Amino acid sequence: MNMEPHISAEEFDIRQFMRLDLFPHFLCPGCGHGMALRALMWALWEQNISMDKLAVVCGIGCSGRLGAYIDSNTFHTTHGRPLAYATGLALARPDLHVVVITGDGDCLAIGGNHLIHACRRNVNMTCLMLNNEVYGMTGGQVSPTTSPTRYTTTTPYGNAEPVFDACKLAEAAGAGFVGREVTMQVPTLKDLIKQAFDYDGFSFVEIISDCTEIFGRKNQLGESAEMIMSQKASTRPDSYGTRVDEPFRPNSLPTGVLVKTDRLEYRAHQQSLNPKGQK
Amino acid sequence: MSASKTHPVTNVLVVGVGGQGVIMVSKVLALLCQRQGHEVKQSEVHGMAKRGGAVFSHIRFGKKVHSPTIPTGEADILIALEWAESMRWINQLNPETGTFISDTHKIVPPFACRNRSRNQKAVYSKETPKDVLGKVAQGYALDAVGVAAELGNERAANTILLGVMSTVLDFSVDDWLDVIAKFVPPKSIEINKKAFLYGREWVKEATIPEMNGEVEIEKAAELTNELEIIPAWCKGCDICVRMCPEHCLELDAEQKVVNARPDNCTGCRICEWLCPDFAIKLHKVPVNEKQPDAAMVEA
Ligand SMILES: Cc1ncc(C[n+]2csc(CCOP(=O)(O)OP(=O)(O)O)c2C)c(N)n1
Ligand code: SF4
Ligand code: SF4
Ligand code: SF4
Ligand SMILES: [Mg+2]
Repeated sequence: MNMEPHISAEEFDIRQFMRLDLFPHFLCPGCGHGMALRALMWALWEQNISMDKLAVVCGIGCSGRLGAYIDSNTFHTTHGRPLAYATGLALARPDLHVVVITGDGDCLAIGGNHLIHACRRNVNMTCLMLNNEVYGMTGGQVSPTTSPTRYTTTTPYGNAEPVFDACKLAEAAGAGFVGREVTMQVPTLKDLIKQAFDYDGFSFVEIISDCTEIFGRKNQLGESAEMIMSQKASTRPDSYGTRVDEPFRPNSLPTGVLVKTDRLEYRAHQQSLNPKGQK
Repeated sequence: MSASKTHPVTNVLVVGVGGQGVIMVSKVLALLCQRQGHEVKQSEVHGMAKRGGAVFSHIRFGKKVHSPTIPTGEADILIALEWAESMRWINQLNPETGTFISDTHKIVPPFACRNRSRNQKAVYSKETPKDVLGKVAQGYALDAVGVAAELGNERAANTILLGVMSTVLDFSVDDWLDVIAKFVPPKSIEINKKAFLYGREWVKEATIPEMNGEVEIEKAAELTNELEIIPAWCKGCDICVRMCPEHCLELDAEQKVVNARPDNCTGCRICEWLCPDFAIKLHKVPVNEKQPDAAMVEA
């Protein structure tokens, strides 16, 4: 088998930025997290961000595992705490581009407290939350985003808990940049992540991902192709503008840039309070 | 003109592609007829104009005009601003007495490239002026856009065609020019006058232009698509197989993806983007450097 990859540096080739010795990666066949990783790396490449100037801070979960594959400064932290680690890192090393990769369970359940305070503080970093409606890594337990119509290993009779809308939560907690996209729209997702990088402050992007192997199978949602197609069909891109077409797309999820406000970034704000830097 | 003597109403059908000036041509004619004391009815479809689609306009004039649309096969004049459009509407022309006037200019619509694979010819009207002009009662075809460009402004092409049409209608040159001046920007009145007179003169020694029935589509550098597949990374999730718009990909017995129809690949990169395992990379390589497909599949 000829395994010599033809990696080109002229165009975007994700393999330039991967720890190739760890491949094939550990994600299940068709796991949407892979597409999200591509979109992130593509955005970094288009923004010309050097791998030396990047720090990827990850939580625990299949989503958090993605950091292991990026050939850069990567931190695999503790469950639910990547935003806390990243806050410290971003304050200490403002020269680094800090990206957080977290899951729905990681970010909204055990780490929900860190999320609201990160949104409130507005330290310059980008948080990508990969929402697959389930605790993928630990075998498919219910998560704060599991829809009431779905079954999980811990809710075999159905889910009595209403879902958390992570974007609304982030907005309410004060995040200055909030966006959402599905994994299948890789180029659009890439553009959204680029906008999140450009935002000076805390930017939050919810990426609708699919856990085919556990969640999809349990709920008979079909194979990956069906899952990503139905995810896409259930969204309403922001390019639709304010058109009222709810009757045609009941309960459709808005995607694109959902919130973008001018807020003073945390460090800048701190410095303005103490311009001479007195101790 | 003969038609106006045999019919109480003269029917002119103006056709073209969105944005070309079908409406301008019909307005000129309608106003001119009105000024000459005719009753004029005009109806048009120009909704497709924005999309570069087909546009047409019916103009009927005479002592009394009842209906605004021309019955099939009763157009006395068909004036086409684009060659394929002239072919689309030719059945509207009165086969015994109708006058056919068309620009030989070609605007190839996007859907002409129905086969999206590489090196496919676009589908466009195959008829040439030679095929057509012999079969109509009276016919003129000329490269009006080309001539207008030489005169200094491509947009005057329509006025050249008006000049040609003026020779089969009983209106004076001055009346024509007067009306045309109303519908063109002040600084291009002069060039439109030249264009109009050119059209009139050209008719006297009208020739049948040569035309190549095929359309050329501008080709970028000769690049071809080569899929690099890393079987060891492929987990057989089937996403690329299902999502490839050209159905190029298949899973083999070991549930590894293979490029079964490399010739159909358009290089859209959808497979590369959607593979969660990064097992596919599309390379655009110069044609002469293309490796044999077999090597890629078995790699
Ligand atoms: C403190 C702590 N509690 C529980 C766990 C077990 N655990 C590992 S991953 C995970 C859930 C991950 O879910 P999510 O964040 O949605 O990521 P996914 O795998 O779905 O991408 C849990 C509960 C842990 N590692 N640490
Ligand atoms: S368990 Fe689910 S989320 Fe985790 S790798 Fe498999 S498909 Fe992806
Ligand atoms: S690039 Fe991939 S998806 Fe696109 S046509 Fe070629 S094989 Fe199919
Ligand atoms: S998308 Fe990737 S992993 Fe899935 S079948 Fe295609 S090449 Fe294999
Ligand atoms: Mg999850």
